[in-house]
This record gives sequence, C-alpha cells and structure tokens, in this order.
Amino acid sequence: MTAMIPIQVTVNGRARALVVATHHTLLDVLRDDLGLTGTKECCLVGECGACTVMLDGRVVDSCLVLAVEADRAQVTTVEGLAHDGHLSPLQQAFLDKGAAQCGFCIPGQLMAAHALLAENPHPTIPEILEGLAGNLCRCAGYQQISEAVLAAAEAADR
Amino acid sequence: MSANGIGASPARVGGIGRVTGSQLYVADIRLQDVLHVKLVTLDCARARIVSIDTSAAEQVPGVRLVMTAAELPQPVPRFGPQFSDRPVLAVGETKYHGEPVAAVAAETKDAAEEAARLVWVEYEELPAIFSIAAALDPASPLVQDPAIRPNDPLAGTNVLREHRFGWGDVDAVAASADLVVENTYTFPMVTHFAIEPHGFMAAPDGDGIAVWSTIQHPNWLQKIIATILGLPLAKVRVFAPDPGGGFGGKQHAKLEPLVAFMALETGRPCRLILTLDETFQAVRRSSTEVRVRAGFRSDGRLVFRDIEANYLVGAYADIADRTVSKGGYASSGPYRVPAVRIVARSILSHTTPSTAFRGFGNPQPIWAVESNMDEAARALGIDPLEIRLRNLARRGEAFNPSDTPADGDWEQTVRRAAELIGWGSPLPPGRGRGIAVGMKSGPTTGLSYSTVRLLVDGSVIVYAGTSDMGQGARTVFAQIAAQELGAPIEWITVVMGDTAVVPYDQQTSASRSTVLMGNAVLAACRDVQAKLRAMAARLHGVDEAQVVVQRGVVRLPGRDLPILDILKPGLGRLGGELIGNGEMRKDAEPDHPLGGSAAFYEFNCTAVEAEVDEGTGDITLLRHVTVSDVGKALNPLQARGQDEGAAIQGLGHTLMEHYIYDEKGRIRNLGAIDYRIPTSMDLPLELHSEIVENGDGPGPYGSKGMSEGSLLCVAPAVAAAVRDATGVVIRDLPLTPERVWRALQERPTP
Amino acid sequence: MHTFEFARPATLAEAVALLDAHGPDARLLAGGTDLVIRLRDGTARPAVVIDVKRIAELRPAIRQADGRVTISAGTVMTDIAADDRVRRWFPALAEAAAVVGSVQIRNRATLAGNVCNASPAADTAPSLLVYGADVVAAGPGGTRRIAVDDFFVRSGVTTLARGELVTAIELPIPSRRQAAVHLRRTRRRGHDLASVTLCCAVDEAGVTRLAYGSVGPRPVLVVDESGVLADPAAPDDAKAAIFEQMFAGASPSPRSMRASPEYRLAMLRVLGRRALRIAIDRLATGE
Repeated sequence: MTAMIPIQVTVNGRARALVVATHHTLLDVLRDDLGLTGTKECCLVGECGACTVMLDGRVVDSCLVLAVEADRAQVTTVEGLAHDGHLSPLQQAFLDKGAAQCGFCIPGQLMAAHALLAENPHPTIPEILEGLAGNLCRCAGYQQISEAVLAAAEAADR
Repeated sequence: MSANGIGASPARVGGIGRVTGSQLYVADIRLQDVLHVKLVTLDCARARIVSIDTSAAEQVPGVRLVMTAAELPQPVPRFGPQFSDRPVLAVGETKYHGEPVAAVAAETKDAAEEAARLVWVEYEELPAIFSIAAALDPASPLVQDPAIRPNDPLAGTNVLREHRFGWGDVDAVAASADLVVENTYTFPMVTHFAIEPHGFMAAPDGDGIAVWSTIQHPNWLQKIIATILGLPLAKVRVFAPDPGGGFGGKQHAKLEPLVAFMALETGRPCRLILTLDETFQAVRRSSTEVRVRAGFRSDGRLVFRDIEANYLVGAYADIADRTVSKGGYASSGPYRVPAVRIVARSILSHTTPSTAFRGFGNPQPIWAVESNMDEAARALGIDPLEIRLRNLARRGEAFNPSDTPADGDWEQTVRRAAELIGWGSPLPPGRGRGIAVGMKSGPTTGLSYSTVRLLVDGSVIVYAGTSDMGQGARTVFAQIAAQELGAPIEWITVVMGDTAVVPYDQQTSASRSTVLMGNAVLAACRDVQAKLRAMAARLHGVDEAQVVVQRGVVRLPGRDLPILDILKPGLGRLGGELIGNGEMRKDAEPDHPLGGSAAFYEFNCTAVEAEVDEGTGDITLLRHVTVSDVGKALNPLQARGQDEGAAIQGLGHTLMEHYIYDEKGRIRNLGAIDYRIPTSMDLPLELHSEIVENGDGPGPYGSKGMSEGSLLCVAPAVAAAVRDATGVVIRDLPLTPERVWRALQERPTP
Repeated sequence: MHTFEFARPATLAEAVALLDAHGPDARLLAGGTDLVIRLRDGTARPAVVIDVKRIAELRPAIRQADGRVTISAGTVMTDIAADDRVRRWFPALAEAAAVVGSVQIRNRATLAGNVCNASPAADTAPSLLVYGADVVAAGPGGTRRIAVDDFFVRSGVTTLARGELVTAIELPIPSRRQAAVHLRRTRRRGHDLASVTLCCAVDEAGVTRLAYGSVGPRPVLVVDESGVLADPAAPDDAKAAIFEQMFAGASPSPRSMRASPEYRLAMLRVLGRRALRIAIDRLATGE
C-alpha cells in the first residue's frame, strides 16, 4: 500500500495542493503530476544536475529530494524564469551566445546560473565554471555556457 | 551578408524551446492511456535462460503485459543495420550484461518496476568473452550462432569481418626504411553518455503504427519497423523529436521493435525510457588494440605503414563493423605513404553492442598512428610538427589511390594550430607540447530530399529529414532558405522528424547533413526560384532567361523587385504557395572498397601544452588548440560549439573514461558516479578553436561537414605533450592520474 | 523505489521515540543525498523514513559558546564552508565541506548526515578527527558526546545505539595557534569521490595531527608529538620515518574501482608531505 501524503508547495509562484506518494521525488512530481517537463531526468544519483531546481532559494538536484520534503516550500523550475512571456536576461544571453546545443542540460544550467548570479552578481569565468560544475554537458558547450552567464552578469550591470 | 544569412550566427532555430524548457524531447511527450514499460535484465554477462516465470509479475495490479521471447512471433525476429542478428528480446541466451530478457507494460511506472522485479528468470551463468585475446582464442565459445552468416568462412570464429586495405608492396619497400617503429596501442571501451537517455514509444495508429524515438535515422528506423511488423512503409509513422545528444549512440534501432510489439499486443501506447545505467549497457564505442609498424627514412619521410587494427565489438553487430571498415580504411591518415597494408577486424564479444560514436572508428587508429609518428619523430630527432609537414598530403594529392584526393589545404590547418600553440617557442621546465592530426572520411553514399514551401506572405517552410541533436542542422537549413528566398529567419519554419510529413533522408551521420541535406535544401530553394522566374517572366512579359532570382531579390531587365512583388500578384486571387523540391544524391561506387569514395574529408590539427604533476600523475592542460578545415562555416557560433564540444568530449576518453569490468564480464561502473566524463572544471585552462575556410567544400557555399574533426586526435596530442614534459610514453588510454603515475614510476632513471 | 511511511517529527523527543520504536526499520532523512540514492537502488528498504528537518532542536545553526563551535545536525555543507567562525578556526573543515559534491549537493548535504553515513571516504571526516570534534547524540537514555574518533566503526557503521540520532557536531576552539589543510585525490578536477582524503594540522607547540580516509574501512587519526614533523628544519628522512609509522594503519581495499591500493598508499605519502608543508607555511604566515 503506497503511503500518500498531502503537500502544499508553491511552484513558479503558483500555490499547488498535491497528494504525493512518499517514495516519489520532487522530480517525479514536477514532471508527471504537474506536467512541468522542462526539468529533466538523467542520472538519478545527483551527479549530472539535469534535474536542478531552486528549492527555497537554493539549487538542488530534484531527483534526490522526496516530494514530501517540498511541503511548504517554494520551488522554481526553468519554466519560472521567463516573465510574462519574456525571456530572462540569462535566457536571452544563452540564446545570444549559442550556449544551447542539444539543449537537454540547459534547464539545469540555467537554474544553476540563476542561483549563482543571485549570490554573486559579478562572477569571473572560473567562478562560473565552479558554480555550474554540478551540471554535466555532454555536448560540452561549457565555454559558451560560461560566456553566456558572464554576458548576462554584464548586461545586468548596465 | 545579412544578419541571418550564410556566415552569420543567428540564434539557434529551436533555441527558444531549449532555454525555456518548452522543447519536447521524447520523454516529455504525453500520450493518452500510455502504458509504462520496464525491462527485465540479468546481472550477468552471459547466461543460458532456463525458464522465465512471469506469474508473480502478472499479479501486480496495473500490469497489462509481461512479454518474453515466447510471446513474440516465432522465430523471434532479428534486426540490425548490417546483419539481422539482434533479437527483439533475448532468445535462449543473454549475450551481454543488460540484454533484455523480458519487458513489463503497466499502468504506472511503479507497477512496471515492481512487476519487473518479480519476473523470475532461472538462468545458468556461462563463461563470457570480453577481451580481444579471449575472443580470438580458438578454444573460446562463439559469441554468435554461425548460422547467422552462412557461407562466411569466418562464421566459425569470433571474427565477424576481416577487412584488408592498402596499396603498394609493404614487404618490398620495408628494407629501405632507416627506422622502423612498431608498437601496439589500446583504446578503451567508452559510452556515449548523452544527457538524454534513449526513449522509445509506440502506439497503434489506425491500421498502422506510430513510433516515437530518440533516433538519429528516422527513415532507417521506419524501414526496420515496417519489415519486422510486416507493414508497408506508409503505415509506419516515425516521430523523431530532436534528441538530447546522440553522438552516434542513437543512430540505429535498439528497443523500438520491442515497444512496437508491446503496443500492438496491448492495443495501447507503450513508453520505455531507459535509465542512464541502461544506456551504458545499450551503447558504446568499440575498444581497440592497434599494432602499427611504420618505416621512416632518416629525414622523416614515411616509407610504409603496416597496420593491424583489432576492434572489439559487442554481442550484436549494430553498425560497428562499418566503423571498423571506415576507420581501418583511413587509418594510415592524411599522409603520403608509398606502401600501406591494413588489416582491420571486428571481433565479437559478450559485451554491450558497440555502435557509431563521434569519429566512427577513426579515433582509435588515429591514437595509434599519431602516437607512433611521435615516437618516430623522437627517435629520428625530428620535430613532431616538421615530420608531419614532410608527409602531409597536399591539396589534390591522391594519398589513398582508391579514394578522393586531399580536398583541402591541410598544411595551412597544421601551421595555424602550430602558430596558435606557440610551437617552437621555449617552454619552462616541466611543461610539454604535443601536436597531432586527424582525418576522417565524410559520407561515402547519401540521399537526402528536401521540400521548401514559399507561402503567399513570403514566409517559408522547409522540410528536412535530418536529426538536429545539437549540431544545429535546423538553423543551417533555415539560413540557406533565408539566403536564397530573402525571408528573415524568424519567418522560416523547419519541419523535421516525422516520416509521414518530411521526405526521405538516408541518415544523420558522418557529419553529412550540411553537405547532403544542405544541398537538397539549396536545390529545393533553387526550384522555388525557378518557379519565381517563370512567374516573373509571365507577369512582366520578359523571357525567363532574362530573369535572375538571387537572395530574395528578383532581377528583371532594368529593375530589381523583392520576391513578394512577384509572388503575390503571381499567385493571384486564389493565393497558394510555391513548392520546390530538391534532391542530393551520392551514388554507391560498387568497385570502391567502402562502397563509395569520401564526399569530403574532415581534417583537424590539435596541439596541446601540458604540465604533469609527477607526484600524483595529474595532467594539467594549460592550452588546447584545435583547428579544423571546414570549407565554409555557415553558422560560425554553432561551428565553434561543435568544435570545442568535440575537443572536450575527446578529453573524456583521453583522460578519464573507461568501462571497468569484473572478472565475469559484468560492467562495474554503471552510472554517473563511477563513470567520469569531463565537467566544467575539467576544461583546459585555455581552449581555443579556429576554423579554416577556403570555400573548397562540396556543400552549400563551399562548406564541408564538420563536428567530428576536433575529437579525432585529442588523445595523441595530449600523450605527446605528456611525453614531451616527462619522457614517459603511454600507449594505453585513458591517461588517468594513476596510469600516468605508474608510467612515471617505471620510467628508467637517467 | 519501494514505498515507506514518512514521519516528520517536530521535536527531538518525538524523533527519538520513533527511532527507538522502529530500530533498524527506520532511516533518518536529512539532506537525502545518500539516503535517496539507497532508497532508489534498494540498498535501503526502511519501513519508515524519519525526516529530521522539522525538528526544532536540529534546525540549521552554527553557534559559538563555551569555547566550542556547535554545528547543528540540520546544517548543510554550503553554510559550513561559508561560515566565518569555521573558516577562522577550522579552515580545513571549510575546505572539505566546499568539495563535497556539487553546489546542488552541498545545498542539501548535512555534516551530521555525512558523518552518520560513515563512508571511509567522507571528506569531512579527516578534519573532524584532526580538530577533535565530538558528535552529540540524543537517545532514549539521554544525551551523550562521542568523540569522532570513537564514532566511526567501518563503512556505514557507527557507534550510535538504537534510538539515537545525532543532534550536533561540536568543535573545540583551538587553544593553541594552529594551521591545517585538507587535500584529496580524485579522478578528475570536477566533483568526485575521493580515493584519498587527508587533513593535516600543525600547532605552535609542534604537535602534528593528521587524519586520512578512503584507505581502509574507516578514517584514521594519527598524532606526532615529537615535534619533528612540525619542524620546518627537520630533515626529510626523519619526517619520512614518522610518516611511515603514521600510515602503517592504512589498508586500502583491493576491490575499489577508484584507485588501486598501490596508488592510494603512494598518494597518502605524497599528500601527507604536501599537506604538512602547507600547514607549516600557513602556521608561519599566520594564515
């Protein structure tokens, strides 16, 4: 008998009331219950970062967070970055700099970059590479990804 | 050059979907009433299946089907791009760690997982072959049933194919060499590790079937499914969303046939998304032992090359043997060599079926031949750059007598890389430099169709069956249409990945699509332009021959008009559109050793500056330079991403990637924790890519294919730098810190 | 994943009662970066998962009082690595916390969880040993302090009794001037599990404390009170002899995929020498 627990979670600014299985992760619930498929599933061991979301202001691997742990929490996914249909400066920078190749790692990269810039608005390239070190890219677009983050930081200054 | 046209770098078409998370990959597509599929596999490299008891699994609430080989048509259908050897489900025996034995379809993922755990397989473990030596031992068991290739003299061995290539007479000229260097070099088993695991869905579709797959070759998959199910092609619809990275691992059918049978059996859509661990068990690159014996004159000029390349492929051939023939055939490299003898073998083993992987059989012999060249340079006291320049084929030279002559100024590429790395300038102690070249043949045959529709408002729809898995094909085709039809890129839609809607494309591989599909798109645009010319002639009462359509402008005698000024009146009150079709074909050449000569070559020179921590064996790449000969970069930003990405991916097998097996042939390091790929922290301190553009390619606007070149010779360049810094020669990849440390320990003390 | 009951006690007493009632059928959940992996691969199949994050007494906090810095069980690696007091008095612990996994992992992984997971390769273990940390455990019998050196038994096994959970890690603020460093060996520059993880501290009295992990079933602490190691002028061969004694307790597993025993033992010596030199320099420069 699967234990089901009601939770209240705010996702991308919208309050949701859900009933979740105890053994389902936040990643499962975001993708399967809420249809927010921007967050991706890959390694399931907290290595690749494809499932990165913001949880109460910090980036985490949602594959390692049980859905029940998100009760009373604020979650932001890649779908929450754009505002009123306008790309965030970070998303725009990713486009402008050609940071996305196959695109599968990009939602996770964007979340990690978003968190990095919130914490450190003027990062250097080495700081960016370290801040995004938990996000694997097999297309290995790391240079263009980090240049995009730098460009977004510089755009925010202006 | 407009901001959207050729040579510009407009934002990636499909980029918005990628940065907003709205792009739907296979795993994101929701089908109504879908059943979730979970595979049942054995924790064993090879086993005889004694019995399968599905009764407990069938009792799990929500389970709709437990499929084993017994539920499939008998004999169990087999498929594969080269041999029809791979069964839809294991028959009687599992031949590699992870070969599916059964599959469960259930209403929920949880139910499918639970049921899969309850499928009880009684099996007897059998001795597994997972090394070249074991496979070649006549006393070893055969991996493949000899009946699969009757009339093949090798059928009684584990050698699937033995390919012989070459020219001249090695034995006759060998004596004239002043130096002969002979060594064996090994390349590990590595896996693609696309961040998107493979995904497969199938659903009954009227009297046919619809299949969704992360496949790189949708039309090829369509053919496989149609054949296996006994359906006409027109009743098999393949949806191929942009894959989240392919690198060759998604080229050919893997589990689509199984999911298709399950969909037909249940009458419901079925969905199977592999876990990352399962992808490691599904696809890999062939590992190799390559023996190179090369003879040089004292001035460094090559006299002969004698190459024996043994590739360990998996339990089923997939496309691996083709990688062996293509890689083996080109293994002497872009050099002028009077006599060459090549034997390249694909050798079966009880391991994950190896398949295409960026470089397609070339990185392995390049590792050997370039390392061997470096050793010869050292022995002769000749600069490693100089020795290459002395032997490098010049433009137009038929360095391989049965193939396309050198199609670029390769020396220019090499000199540029040397210049960028500062070759020849003094280095502080403890640092070394290495340089290597890599060459790979492009496609040998090809067939791409494209349709382009110019709509009444000047917007455009391009149909192209290429798979865009990050290399940016979609954007390039849009740029071609923008260039030719004058539409801004935001007014161009590129439709791909649906065999019911998009005309035939042979495949997406061998860096072919800019050249083959690009030319088809170009031809389709020219077809539209021809119709515009006819329209303009009719409207303005001039001869067609006097009308030129170029870059969105219609040039009449005495005036230029934008396309819309012809199109709207030309289509008239009923409106409509202009439809153009284009085809690009490269026919087979039956007498050619590979079935066709190279459409173009990818040529790359990589140079590296490195430092080695002799206490730990850590390699620090201070500077990594990669220069590729691309003809014309239609989208420089995308080209850069591909080149740098390929270079970093190459650092993977160079420095850290390898499967680790246990003594029974099971993979120990499944998953992301113990299979290491480069992260953002593993970049060289400086990575610089450049392209050489001489407009000398067969593709649109003088382009060649690119995106594999920068991976080809990373390993020998790094190893050469390590040797330059420390004196140690390492002939086995990867150059992990421990292995470098060991080599340093064994270094003879001066 | 198998299903399980999920409990979120609000007080320590509740948590202890639950843990005592269920014994080995319960698992504690803090950051989840170890447990969720085990739940998924089936190596952990608890009937009950007890989430400690709502327990008032365990809420994330780093406090200083009575000559000790106390890190509550709910405190995550990110905050430990950034904390001024940790960086000032226990810099090697800050260094170690900063390399546990990636940013995403560090935002969830707790020090207490790392310690209770008791991996021989735990990166925080060597510095906790060197700094003489205590584990504070609450159980049915009350609260007790366990020296970290008495806490680790072997991989996955600690000396916690039934019904006990860790409420905090306490570090005594050094009374003498000391300097320390954390070093480790990995297979790549990117985040990785360590094949050798090591902390070395020297103090102004000439005592050298060195702890190493991932070369045996549990992390090992060794102390040199002779003053030879800490003395910058002492000859290398004298130091080497002491190192050999210190590392005699290392017994790396031949089954490990990450590195061979031979390499690990060699790297122990390489890292030990380097860590010592760095610690001596840091002590001299007052860093």
